[in-house]
Amino acid sequence: MIKKTIIEKKKERTSFIILFLISIIFSNIGIPGIENSTLMPNYFIALIIACILNKNSFFNIYKLVIIGLLVDLFAGQLLGQYGLIFICIYLLYSIIQRLLVIKTTLQLFSLGLFLTLCSFLILWATSMSHDLFISFTSLFIELIFTFIAYLIFNIFIKKFTAN
Amino acid sequence: MARNLSSNSLKLFNQDSFPVASFIALFLLCLIMMGTDYRYKILKEIKARFSIVNGPITFLINLPVTIFIDSKDVFITKTLLKERIKNLQQSNYILSIAVQENKLLTAENNILRDTLKIKKDFNLLSINAEIVLPRVRNGYSIITINKGLNHKIKTGSAVINNAGLVGQIINTSKSHSEIMPITSENYAVPAIMDNSKENVILYGNGNGGLEIPLFPSSSSILINDTFVTSGVGGLYPKGINIGKVVEIKKTTSPKFNSIVITPFSQPVTFTQISVLDIKE
Repeated sequence: MIKKTIIEKKKERTSFIILFLISIIFSNIGIPGIENSTLMPNYFIALIIACILNKNSFFNIYKLVIIGLLVDLFAGQLLGQYGLIFICIYLLYSIIQRLLVIKTTLQLFSLGLFLTLCSFLILWATSMSHDLFISFTSLFIELIFTFIAYLIFNIFIKKFTAN
Repeated sequence: MARNLSSNSLKLFNQDSFPVASFIALFLLCLIMMGTDYRYKILKEIKARFSIVNGPITFLINLPVTIFIDSKDVFITKTLLKERIKNLQQSNYILSIAVQENKLLTAENNILRDTLKIKKDFNLLSINAEIVLPRVRNGYSIITINKGLNHKIKTGSAVINNAGLVGQIINTSKSHSEIMPITSENYAVPAIMDNSKENVILYGNGNGGLEIPLFPSSSSILINDTFVTSGVGGLYPKGINIGKVVEIKKTTSPKFNSIVITPFSQPVTFTQISVLDIKE
């Protein structure tokens, strides 16, 4: 087990806070040139997945719920919805990590995509606006956008926390 | 590649064992919070109280985009302004004729109503407001206006402008209110076609339009047919313009078509709107 130094932990915490603030900003503005407001990534899900997959020591299950409540306050529909999503991602990751050896970058990205898909399923199932006539095309585009956001966050975290 | 399972409990980040009991407790807590919030709208209350902090933050976040939109208006040329004035004068002339026609129709209508002894009052009570933040929030369209509880705006009120129905008030704070546009995914409005008696419910598709997912294929409908509010339910007065048919799609069932409607009113700029008063 590799223990992280205090400086590394501080860097991880700082990178998370910066990215969280960026997520709040971007979730309040649409993508320029795209009129459809639903076609934007879910930055918060992308951020949490990026942090969990980078083994950010800042997180524990309680902090995830608190972060989820903050997200609900800024951009949520229901109180507790994002907390539920985040702890489910946490659980899924812990199970997968236990069962499978995830080492290569491709494996990590595949796991990221899988976790994003699961998050979207939970988000849709717990959403107040879910209905039978869901547009799977827009959901798919949103999923792809979120995955791209995850990749960008991933690069930022890796650069920021690198020694 | 599967790893051999040991008797140890689940581990996360190779540090501690997975807190199963905490997970179950927090999972249940989240579900309880969601259920309670869905029933008692706690988050709306918190957001309304939090708007003193949240409002300026949202305003600051959107400030660069707002400045960009404003600056586009500042830098338009003199020729464009002259052309715009000319167009406005023309539309003013057309509107003044329409006003005269309306006066004539109102007078004629009053005479007919007196003759038929119709007592129903069609006057709409409304509060005028201005759109200050036509933006999105985490993928959901939200329009923010500059009037709130202090101006007697109520949650649930219908919002219209000169083109037609805009949406419905979903959140109110002291000085601001938020509107869910008619094109939002969880929006529904009872409507009627202006040239028939077909009562339908229009749903926002979250994609800049409205939809009737299952419209009987036996009923007559054409491209450019218009829909107005039917007045069913009492929230929206009858006869407000909603939109026109732009696409008639076939569904898996031959008995039904799917109808796509483009709304007449899609306010994305800083324009005036009217919030209709809910009749108690």
